[in-house]
Amino acid sequence: MFASSTHLKFWTFSGENEIKQLRAETSEKYLAKHASGLSEDERAQEFLTQSEERQLVRHFEYVLKEFCGKFQPPMPKCVVGTSLAFFKRFYVHNSVMDYHPRDIMLTCMYLSCKVEEFYVPIGQFVKNLKGDREKFADIILGFELLLMQKIHYHLTIHNSFRALEGLLIDLKTRYKDHCDAEKLRKIAEEFIDQSLGTDASLIFSPSQIALSALLASSSKEGINLDNYVTGTLLLGSSEDDLQKTIYQVKRIRYMIKNQEPLQRELIQIIQKKLEKCRNQENNPESEIYKRKMEEMIDEDDEIRTQKRAKLNEGRETDHELFGPLNPI
Amino acid sequence: MDEQGCPRCKTTKYRNPSLKLMVNVCGHSLCDNCVDLLFIKGSGACPECGTAIRRSNFRYQIFEDAQVEKEIDIRKKILKDYNKKEEDFDTLREYNDYLEMIETIIYNLANGIDVEDTRRQVDSYKKENKDAIRKNQSKLSRDEEYLEMLIEEEEKTSSLRKQMIHDTEVLEKNKKRRDKEALIDELMFSDMSAADILTMHKTTARPAEAVDNTSFQPAQTTRYSTGIQRGQQSGLIPMPMTEANPVYHYEELELERCGPIYPTVDDIIEVGYLSNVRAASESERAGGFEATLCCQRALQDALGGLFYYPELPGQSTSVM
Repeated sequence: MFASSTHLKFWTFSGENEIKQLRAETSEKYLAKHASGLSEDERAQEFLTQSEERQLVRHFEYVLKEFCGKFQPPMPKCVVGTSLAFFKRFYVHNSVMDYHPRDIMLTCMYLSCKVEEFYVPIGQFVKNLKGDREKFADIILGFELLLMQKIHYHLTIHNSFRALEGLLIDLKTRYKDHCDAEKLRKIAEEFIDQSLGTDASLIFSPSQIALSALLASSSKEGINLDNYVTGTLLLGSSEDDLQKTIYQVKRIRYMIKNQEPLQRELIQIIQKKLEKCRNQENNPESEIYKRKMEEMIDEDDEIRTQKRAKLNEGRETDHELFGPLNPI
Repeated sequence: MDEQGCPRCKTTKYRNPSLKLMVNVCGHSLCDNCVDLLFIKGSGACPECGTAIRRSNFRYQIFEDAQVEKEIDIRKKILKDYNKKEEDFDTLREYNDYLEMIETIIYNLANGIDVEDTRRQVDSYKKENKDAIRKNQSKLSRDEEYLEMLIEEEEKTSSLRKQMIHDTEVLEKNKKRRDKEALIDELMFSDMSAADILTMHKTTARPAEAVDNTSFQPAQTTRYSTGIQRGQQSGLIPMPMTEANPVYHYEELELERCGPIYPTVDDIIEVGYLSNVRAASESERAGGFEATLCCQRALQDALGGLFYYPELPGQSTSVM
């Protein structure tokens, strides 16, 4: 139920401006912590700017989508949607410089497989990756809990795919004499795929995105669905609601149509820059990260040994109480 | 398990098989010899806890655990005052609460928890409900009435049966005597041989006996000795008490929609949505899955949130 979900309550923002502002705050927070003594210019040189961060996130969203497409076993669409939603949510409140998008991307995929009930064991999961698979597995499992924490354990994602399915069923049932619904499916699904590359899922409700997809597809196919929308789908709703819905649909279609193209050539440079300014504490390959992990393990060990010592103490006093175990 | 013994003279059941333990209100046991010795005067202090007790209050200990005896003592006393019956309450729940309260009081007194407070509570209850207590004392509860009725009935039937047995016995005796007389008469006056007469009498007497046996079977009992009726008679099955409290009424959950009204399951079937979704296979239906479920979910997803509109001050609502 989208209307009462955490999806709507916590992760649907009022518009691009609000998201932009939140991202700016996130970036500033990171800079304030790691680049406090530097001037504006130095900051711009050493650290990623907000637009560079954005470029990188969008690049990895693209990579994520591509990777999902090649994944074996083939993934259902909702897994892709969910992993992208996790990814987007994560980088609203976290900086790219804090957590490398490559690590988070894989973790998002792994987690969404679980959430969408398409469980792939970690061993099979990393078989899709080239390189040191054990290391990847460690990274994914290491970040999984952190990812869940950062998205506040709001794991239920309402994807647009099922909403589109519902609309198609509705079309076939209540508007069957006027159009062939199956003809609309392909382009509509492509539209939703495209919407995953934008912030649409952070701003609009999934059903609105699905409706936009349907309408975009119908206009390309030369089918007029206006009668369906006003006469069947939204029949009985107030004029105000109708206008708002239509307005939202227009915004979505505008947003998807005017997506900024990715600037591939910049990505290499940004990635190089990121290597220098990223938070080494969260880099699984850095010495600092390894040391931190070891410390954590040591701490665990310490707690365990303390517990053991306590237990032993208890046992010794027991002996005193009841005498030695072998009295003979 | 410890051998039962007197805490004062340390005699045990093993050493003195005729040992009899006695217990008083405080819940500490003594053997009867010690009781005789200590309470010659009629009253004194308990050697264990120092409570002043009277000799006349000593009873023979039935349960091994003296604590149980003490609790029974307290229970008897408390129930004398707390003698309300189920009929005195409006709902079963209130009655159960009342029973619960009694148990708490008894437990507290038996285990020495807030003894003063509990005593005070009991006293005030006694004062407040003086009349009701007296009235209830004279009144038999429904259960008791029922038991009494059962006993009465049982007595009646048993006396009836006795009477019947007696009657038949008398009848039989008379008959036997008559038969014998007839046989002798015939032997005396008949022309037939003695052996023939004897066999003839035997064959006539046998069937009569057999008939007697069948008729003598006791009337089939419809009740067990405990008074519970045999067979499937619904009359005596205890019906659950219907409470007078307001009954819970289910109210259909109002879904937040933020969109057009969802079609219900009936609508889905009626309008013909099902012809456009994959029908559930037999094995799926066996597992509880219905095509309506996924159809409804898809439609709800499609309709829910359509009217979503961010509410922000300063946002222009004009249509582009």
